[in-house]
Amino acid sequence: MTHRRWFTPWLLAGPALIWLAVFNLWPAANTVILSFTNAKPLGGGRFTGLDNYQRAFSDDQLADALLNSVIYLLICLPLLTVLPLLLALLVQRRLPGITFFRTAFYTPVVASAVVVALIWGWALNDRGLINGVLRQTGLADSPVPFLTDRWLLLLSAIALTTWKGLGYYMVIYLSALANVGRELHEAAAVDGAGALRRFLHVTLPGVRPTMVLVSVLISVSSLRVFSELYVLSNGTGGPGGRDMSVVMLIQMYSRGFTGHLGYASALSLLLFLITLGPMLLLTRLNRKAA
Amino acid sequence: MRRIRAAVTTAVLTATLATGCGLGSDGSSGSSDSAASAAATGEVKGKVSLQTWALKPKFTAYVQGVIDGFEQKYPGVEVDWLDQPGDGYSDKVLSQAAAGTLPDVVNLPPDFALPLAKQGLLLDVAKADPKLGEEYVTGGLDAYRFAGLGGTFGYPWYLNTDVNYWNSELLAKYGLDPKKLPTTLDELIAQARTFKEKAGGSAYLMSRKPGLGDLVDAGVKVMAEDGRSFTFNTPEAAAVLDKYRAAFKEGLLPNDVLTDTYAGNSKLFTAGTAAWTTAGANFITTVATDNPTLAPKIVSSPSMGTPPLYVQGVSVPKNTKNPAAAVALARWVTSPENQAAFSRLTSIFPSTKASANDPLFSKSDGSNAGDAKVVAFTSLAKAKMLQPVQVDDAMSTIVKQQFTLAISGDTSSKQALDTAVERCNQLLKG
Repeated sequence: MTHRRWFTPWLLAGPALIWLAVFNLWPAANTVILSFTNAKPLGGGRFTGLDNYQRAFSDDQLADALLNSVIYLLICLPLLTVLPLLLALLVQRRLPGITFFRTAFYTPVVASAVVVALIWGWALNDRGLINGVLRQTGLADSPVPFLTDRWLLLLSAIALTTWKGLGYYMVIYLSALANVGRELHEAAAVDGAGALRRFLHVTLPGVRPTMVLVSVLISVSSLRVFSELYVLSNGTGGPGGRDMSVVMLIQMYSRGFTGHLGYASALSLLLFLITLGPMLLLTRLNRKAA
Repeated sequence: MRRIRAAVTTAVLTATLATGCGLGSDGSSGSSDSAASAAATGEVKGKVSLQTWALKPKFTAYVQGVIDGFEQKYPGVEVDWLDQPGDGYSDKVLSQAAAGTLPDVVNLPPDFALPLAKQGLLLDVAKADPKLGEEYVTGGLDAYRFAGLGGTFGYPWYLNTDVNYWNSELLAKYGLDPKKLPTTLDELIAQARTFKEKAGGSAYLMSRKPGLGDLVDAGVKVMAEDGRSFTFNTPEAAAVLDKYRAAFKEGLLPNDVLTDTYAGNSKLFTAGTAAWTTAGANFITTVATDNPTLAPKIVSSPSMGTPPLYVQGVSVPKNTKNPAAAVALARWVTSPENQAAFSRLTSIFPSTKASANDPLFSKSDGSNAGDAKVVAFTSLAKAKMLQPVQVDDAMSTIVKQQFTLAISGDTSSKQALDTAVERCNQLLKG
C-alpha cells in the first residue's frame, strides 16, 4: 500500500519553484515596481507615477527603435519562415555528401553572434572586403556606406540575422518534414499530383504548426534583436543612434554606475507588451486555421 | 484554496514592496565627522584592505613593494590587497557599495566616486587630512570635489592628459610639413583639405568627431556652476559643430566617424589610415607593439586648446572599520615617493606638488616616446577636466548621437545641441 503525504509534491516541485520565484518572478515584479520610480543602481529612487511611461511615449529614440523593430520583423518574418523550409526540403534528400551541406548551413548557428557580427563588420566597412570587391570590379566609385547609413546598416543587420538563422530554423523544419508521412506523398503522386501540388497540399499542411512556431520565434527574436545591431554599429546604434533596437535603448539607459533603472524598466515592460502582440496574433491565426 | 492563494499573493506583494527594490532615501544619514576624526587621531594598526584596478600582473612587484613599505612603517598593520580585473570594474564596485563591502581603500576615478559620494558612502578626506591642499595639485583635488557636495572624496593618485600624435610619413607623403603642425581647429581643417586633395580618400588627417571637450575649447560652459543643469547649447557650440559638418561634407573625415567609438580614431591611426590622433603619454609604446614600423614615424605635439585632465584616485569608504589605517594607507599609496616610483614604470604623472620639478618628466630621453612624455607633462600645468563628472554613460551616448546627427547634416547644429541638453537635463533630474 502506498502512503502519500500532502507535502510530497511540494518537495519535488520546491527547488524548481524557488528557482522560478527568485530568478523569474521576483525580477519581473521588481521591474514593474522600478518602472514607476526614478531608481538608480545605488540606493535612491522615489515613486514617480507614470512619468517614465509618459516620457517613453514622447521619446523620439523609442519611436525610431520601434520602427526599426517593425522593419526587422516585416523582413525577417517571411524570409526566415520560407527560406529555411526550402533549404530543409533541399537537404532532406538522401544524396551523397548531403551531410556536409547540412553541417555547412548549420555552422553560423553554432558560431557566436558577436563573432559573426564582427566578421560581417570587417567585411562591410568602408575598407572592407565587399567594398573592395565593388570598387575593384567598378561597380562602385566610392565606398557603399553599409555601416554608416541608417537604412543600409539596418538592412545589413537584417541580412546577418537571416544568414545566421537559416540553419537553426532549417533543422526545426527537417524534424517537422520527417513527420509528414511518405504514404501521403505517394498517394498524391498516384493521383497525378506534381511536385508543386504535393508541396502545397501535402508538405505545407504537414508543417503548418511548425511554421507557426517558427514565426512566433522569429517575431520575438526580431523585436528583441541586439547583438547584430550593437556590433555592426560599434555600440553606437548607428548614425545618431537611429539604428537602435529597443533592447539597445534599455541597455543604454540601464548601464553604468548611474544607470537610469526606472526608465529602463518602463522600456522593458513596454517591450514585453509589444512582444506579446505578434505571439498572440499568430497563435490565434493558427487556431483559426486549424 | 482561495484563501491560501490570497495569502500567498499578499505575502509576495508585501515582501516586494517592503524590500523596496533599490528604493529608499537619497544619501546616507551617517556622519562623516566621527570617521574623519577617528582617521585623524586614531592609531594606525590592524587589518586594512586595498583595492586596485587591473594592476596585476604588470605592476604586482611595485604594489607589493608599496604595501611592504607601509607595513614596515606601521608595525602591527596588515594590508590585504585585492586587484580587480579591468573589465566590469564598475559593476564590481557597484555590488560592493550596494552590499556595504567596499574595501578600506579603493581605487575610484572621479566619475565612480561621485555617485558613491552622493549616497554618503565616502569619507571626506579633507576633514581627516587638513594638509591635503599643500601636497596635491589643485586639479587633482578638484576632480574629487563635486558641485553641491561639500568635501573632497578621494586622494588624487596619478594624472594623465592627451597629446596630439601625427604620422610624419603620411603628412609628408600627402603634402604637409611635419614641422608645421596645426595648433587650432581652423588650421587643422585647412591642412586636412590639402591632405585630402593628395590622398584622395586613401587616408585622412581628421578622423574623430568633436566631443564636449571641443566645446570647452571654444569657450562654451558645459554645465551650470551648481551642477544641476547643462548649458552647452550655445551659438559658440553650434559654430564648432558647423565647422565639423562642413569638413565632413567636404570629405575631410571618413564615413566611419559617424559610428565610431572613442577608440575608432586611434585604431585608424595605428592601422596607418589616419594621420592624426589624440591619446595618453604612453601611446607610442602601445603602437610599438601593435604596429612596430609606424612607431618611429610618430611625432607628438601639445593638444589644441585646453588639454584634458584624466585623474585616478583612491577613496576611503565612510563605513571603514579602520579609518586611521585606511587614511594612512591612502596617503602612503599616493605619497610623492611612491607616485614617482610608479611613474618610472609607466607613462603616468604624479598628482603631488613635490614631483613638479622631477627631471624624469621634464627632460626627454631623446626618443619620440620620451618627447611625448615631456609634452604631456608640460601640458598638465594647464590641463582641466573637460567633461563634467555628472555626464554618465547614457548622457555621453546622447551627446555623441546628437553631434553625429549635426555633423552628418541630418539635423541643424542648434537643434542637435538643444536636444542633447534637453535629454541630458532630463536624465540629470532623474
